[in-house]
Amino acid sequence: MSETIQLDFAAKNKSIFSRNVPRLPGKASSSPRKEMIAASAHRNTPATSFDDFQESVSDAWDLGDDEFCIISDVKISKKMAQSTAASVINRHRTQSADQAIQNHQIPSITKNANRSFPGHPHPFLESAQSRKMNEDLQSGKMEKFNSVLNSANSTMKELEECSWHGIPPPVRAITWRLLSGYIPINLDKRASTLKRKREEYWNLVEQYYETRHEETHQDTFRQIHIDIPRMSPLIALFQQSIVQEMFERILYIWAMRHPASGYVQGINDLVTPFFVVFLQEVIPSDSDLDTHDVSKLSEEDRNSIEADSFWCLSKLLDGIQDNYTFAQPGIQNRVRQLKELIERVDVELHQHLVRHEVDYLQFSFRWMNNLLMRELPLLCTVRLWDTCLAQPHGFADFHLYTCAAFLLKWRNPLLRQTDFQGLMMMLQNLPTQSWSDEEIGEIVAEAYQLHYMFSNAPNHLQSSASKP
Amino acid sequence: MGTRDDEYDYLFKVVLIGDSGVGKSNLLSRFTRNEFNLESKSTIGVEFATRSIQVDGKTIKAQIWDTAGQERYRAITSAYYRGAVGALLVYDIAKHLTYENVERWLKELRDHADQNIVIMLVGNKSDLRHLRSVPTDEARAFAERHSLSFIETSALDCTNVETAFHNILTEIYRIVSQRPMHDSPDEDSPPGNSGPIQISPTEPNSGSKSNCCKA
Repeated sequence: MSETIQLDFAAKNKSIFSRNVPRLPGKASSSPRKEMIAASAHRNTPATSFDDFQESVSDAWDLGDDEFCIISDVKISKKMAQSTAASVINRHRTQSADQAIQNHQIPSITKNANRSFPGHPHPFLESAQSRKMNEDLQSGKMEKFNSVLNSANSTMKELEECSWHGIPPPVRAITWRLLSGYIPINLDKRASTLKRKREEYWNLVEQYYETRHEETHQDTFRQIHIDIPRMSPLIALFQQSIVQEMFERILYIWAMRHPASGYVQGINDLVTPFFVVFLQEVIPSDSDLDTHDVSKLSEEDRNSIEADSFWCLSKLLDGIQDNYTFAQPGIQNRVRQLKELIERVDVELHQHLVRHEVDYLQFSFRWMNNLLMRELPLLCTVRLWDTCLAQPHGFADFHLYTCAAFLLKWRNPLLRQTDFQGLMMMLQNLPTQSWSDEEIGEIVAEAYQLHYMFSNAPNHLQSSASKP
Repeated sequence: MGTRDDEYDYLFKVVLIGDSGVGKSNLLSRFTRNEFNLESKSTIGVEFATRSIQVDGKTIKAQIWDTAGQERYRAITSAYYRGAVGALLVYDIAKHLTYENVERWLKELRDHADQNIVIMLVGNKSDLRHLRSVPTDEARAFAERHSLSFIETSALDCTNVETAFHNILTEIYRIVSQRPMHDSPDEDSPPGNSGPIQISPTEPNSGSKSNCCKA
């Protein structure tokens, strides 16, 4: 019942905005590269599709547009809008309190796969992944990994080297556990460490989880509980209540063990790549990850996925704790470094941003806080993390260079924006929906170059920082 | 006919603040894009949007900063209060705790925002009638005591969203247009040193029915 209504609501929204939707900045239907080519082909016409979007928006909102129903050249019947609104209101009115809370906070599992929003990249591009698996097989990458992973003499360095350019999905889970430092490279100790750590996690759950409703901790748990349902709203997998409970435990236990930062919004996002990778390991490779019913997994598998996600998250966060402590000094530092770096490597772009009073913190705070996850489709994040995990300080220093490369990627469309508003709207909704491993490969290659040039030569940055 | 971006008489910076999950982002998207999203993600740091409206034949451009509600972000988000001439302080009428925290948010504004900032208390999610835990009268009385405007809204069914933004922008306009004219339309430090501006509470009936998709 409620699902139907929500579908109605979604459908309604969609039809209302059918005129605008194709132009939404986050909704590029072609690849960004195509868009750039297309845009540069029309260099003489200042109006880009983004400008069009803005204009279309201000059009829709002339004086007196008190009722959205009168955005009239979009053919939508007022009656339909009213009846849908009425049914939404009616739903609130008639359902029991509990149900309504649930519906309000936990949207239905209904797949909205075809809907995407600016700043909310489309979650999965499965076909790209299976294509990649074939490529990996052909290129001998799998063979290389198998030999490194199964040899008694392998070193972390070897594993990092072959992981840097992307890890084949069949060995990703084990490789991530090793690269995270969660289990040792030493072949003899892996299984026993894994067993011990998984037990240890469940002991922590037993020790801490009961405290979540206590007065001193209920704020933490409440915040986690609010955030989980709206974490990856477009991915059906994360709307399963059993999955949400797993996330709640992981995050709550982590927060209890790290009182200096506690739970900070955004950390929830960081669990998802681990969760997805460890889930992929235990389900058939041809099954649809997005719709996989986690309650059908064995309890042992579920417990292992949860424990492994917890420990890998912990390892990741150990490296960037100052991102989440009071006043978030890690982020503020890296935002400042990003600014200095861009000023150094692309003064034209930097001055363009400065001239229009765009502050780096305004757009790159989220890039740092959520490690670019809000800007990229989930599987692109997974690919990005192959590199970050294989790179020393990958989520700390190297991420700064990744952000720089990511910003530079958009320099031309950004330079075409003529005011603060255009720049901010674009920076908040960069069109990465159709990105795949290929674009991530380019970003990390650029990041590597920047890192190579600047990370060991801090004076490069300081000299520019000290300029007036 | 859209107003061109660079053509406006006044540019007002307004911040959206309040506890996590009260619907700040949906109020913003409803006002600027007429979108509502049951599944919207938590805001990280700040997000920006803009829309122009007309008051007395003048074009007023609202530059609205939506902020993250979680406490840890205060250090970052409070930097955005600077230069803001208006604040929508939002709570959820169905979650009493978010109303109790309004005092803390007022303190945030006192500490970080200009003393003359125009503040509107907004009780959002008014569509959740049977879940209401904050009586309208109580919130209105609170607003009067603190010289805040007051309105209840529903970003979901559109009730009063237009009115809320329209009222606060008009209020700011009235104050700003009374002082000596400045050349720069985006002068963003509010007027004079004559102490806090007294704002009369919103008329009771303006807080009720101007909804756009009334059932």
